[in-house]
Amino acid sequence: MYVFICENSIEGIFTGVYDAWASRYGHRNLRLTIEEPQTYELFCEYIRVVPSPEKSQKISRAVCNSFGREVYQDICQAIMATDTKKRHRLDKADCIYRTILLGFAMHDGHQVLTALGEPYVARVFELARSTDREAHHLLGFLRFRQLKNGILASTIHPKNDVLPILGEHFSDRLPQERFLIYDELHQTAVLHTPGAPFILVDASGIRPEMMDDVSTEELQFQRLWCTFFDSIAIEARRNPKLQSQNIPKRFWKDTVELQQIR
Amino acid sequence: MYIQQNMSLQEKLEILSDAAKYDVACTSSGVDRKGNGIGMGNSIAPGICHTFSADGRCVSLLKILFTNECVFQCAYCQNNCHKDVRRASFTPDEVCTLTMEFYRRNYIEGLFLSSGILVNPTYTMDLIYQTLYKLRHIHHFNGYIHVKAIPGADPELIRQTGFLADRMSVNLELPTGKYLSALAPNKSRRTILTPMRMIQNGIEQNRQELIPYHKEPNFVPAGQSTQMIIGATPENDYQIMSVAESLYDKFELKRVFYSAFVNTTQDSRLPMLPSGPPLLREHRLYQADWLLRFYHFRVSELLSEDNPNFNLFLDPKCDWALRHLEEFPIEINRASYQTLLCVPGIGYKSASRIVKARRMNRLDFSDLKKMGVVLRRALYFITCSGRMMYRTKLDADYICENLLMEQQKVPRELQGLSYQQLNFFGDDVSSDYKLASTG
Repeated sequence: MYVFICENSIEGIFTGVYDAWASRYGHRNLRLTIEEPQTYELFCEYIRVVPSPEKSQKISRAVCNSFGREVYQDICQAIMATDTKKRHRLDKADCIYRTILLGFAMHDGHQVLTALGEPYVARVFELARSTDREAHHLLGFLRFRQLKNGILASTIHPKNDVLPILGEHFSDRLPQERFLIYDELHQTAVLHTPGAPFILVDASGIRPEMMDDVSTEELQFQRLWCTFFDSIAIEARRNPKLQSQNIPKRFWKDTVELQQIR
Repeated sequence: MYIQQNMSLQEKLEILSDAAKYDVACTSSGVDRKGNGIGMGNSIAPGICHTFSADGRCVSLLKILFTNECVFQCAYCQNNCHKDVRRASFTPDEVCTLTMEFYRRNYIEGLFLSSGILVNPTYTMDLIYQTLYKLRHIHHFNGYIHVKAIPGADPELIRQTGFLADRMSVNLELPTGKYLSALAPNKSRRTILTPMRMIQNGIEQNRQELIPYHKEPNFVPAGQSTQMIIGATPENDYQIMSVAESLYDKFELKRVFYSAFVNTTQDSRLPMLPSGPPLLREHRLYQADWLLRFYHFRVSELLSEDNPNFNLFLDPKCDWALRHLEEFPIEINRASYQTLLCVPGIGYKSASRIVKARRMNRLDFSDLKKMGVVLRRALYFITCSGRMMYRTKLDADYICENLLMEQQKVPRELQGLSYQQLNFFGDDVSSDYKLASTG
């Protein structure tokens, strides 16, 4: 058995898929993983995959051309998801590999993600859905605050790496604004300036106090928003359980209106 | 009446959002529009919820009244002209500022603007039109706008407003005309249905024109909706759902909203509802509404003259399935999409996943679970490759008892009742409320 250890990123996993394919060891004799093995197995050869932009692009292009953009997007979203490690779960990278293999074997590769009877396809589907859901949540629950220098800033703590999706949405929505979305958990950020596409940057240089330097006008609008939020609720229908079911508590600390139990 | 001059924006917002809170529709769905690169805003078809208020309802739009001053005297409305409440009015510029600044900060998905009747319907509609015009053409707002068409306003004004809004709605208020004229003397079925028909024709006309002229402004691209108050008047569920069905069929509405009546006016013509608004009944109506829109059910299949109310303890689909046990169990690997839709626990999304996935593999119960099927409800009604999940009986009482056991909501003393008993009890509850409303 050959084990390909990939970096946990789109580039890393796609390079792993390329290398595994090109190795000609036979699909049954190899597997991919994104985790450093805890204990090394006997009769296993471990191969470390070095992420390569060219190889990854070849796979991207092949997936796009044969399966269509939608499937490609779903596969990318699956890679962006954080793989919660439980023992019985299938490894993310391996599932991606097997799904791509199945797609090429199928008559119509566009349908590959509908084959939910296959456990690895179901897993890719599940991961992609998890990213998609969280991203959709954050499209709504994310809050900008205006800093003294006019920049709109936002801090988020998502489970999955959803920044590219948010960046695309908000640069379409606020084309004339300078804004910054800071993912504190993954230490990455999206930067956008008017008239240019957004960029993803490493956020280790961002200091938390920079994000709290808000303008006075900002506080006034936060107060207005909280007023609105309080008076829009109907007392006779009060239902905190439904509320926290709809907006899970982990999002609360990054919003304005639910930040502290006022 | 309490009159105050020079109110701050904060106070106005407090009063006018409080006054708007009984309007149900807060959806921002139905229109896909990319940003234009110049103004601010875009819109995605499924809509986006921005937060959830303490009552658990979604907050998607900045839901406000333009003014809560009103010359009408609708008995159920907290803003009717006889009520002693604080009154306030926005100016168009104030509404624009709030919308733009909230939108920039990603608090909201757009604006929901309704209004009390100031001076007369046409005057009010004109104020709304001015606000929308400023928002669209001066502030270049490209986000979602839901606006109320004021019944009785000048049709041309409503038409022009329709070109600025994404969704328009005219409130039906009460399910039948008889009670509408009794409780809302200034409104009539005719003044409500006329603008509704006009908007429908406008949308239809726009659809015809869209193909040759792509630059033509869109008329109400997200369609129209309406809402009615549930539990203020003694109509039964069968009447309510029939009204909803004919609205979908004849007026091509996108949504009908149901609003459990909250007694804010203490008017003697209205029920007191000591146990709170009829929330569970509202919930059942919404469930049935989904069955109409996405599951190809007809009202006549769910309810009838003899059985005019929904079973409060079981959702309408389960209830339907228990009354049609002769059609079950169905085989997952063979049944048509339509048949799958009838199974409790299988939604329209999982049904289409099943249909696609079984082309490749035979499906088993564990596969169904991954596709989002709620097995604890579905297991009594389905087989996979000819086998049921557990040994169960295809018996209404037995299934009902087990289904109820799953639901935490049902009070413990009701568990163990048979299906027939529950049906009887369900009727009882609704007749109870009828007494309350006539008494």
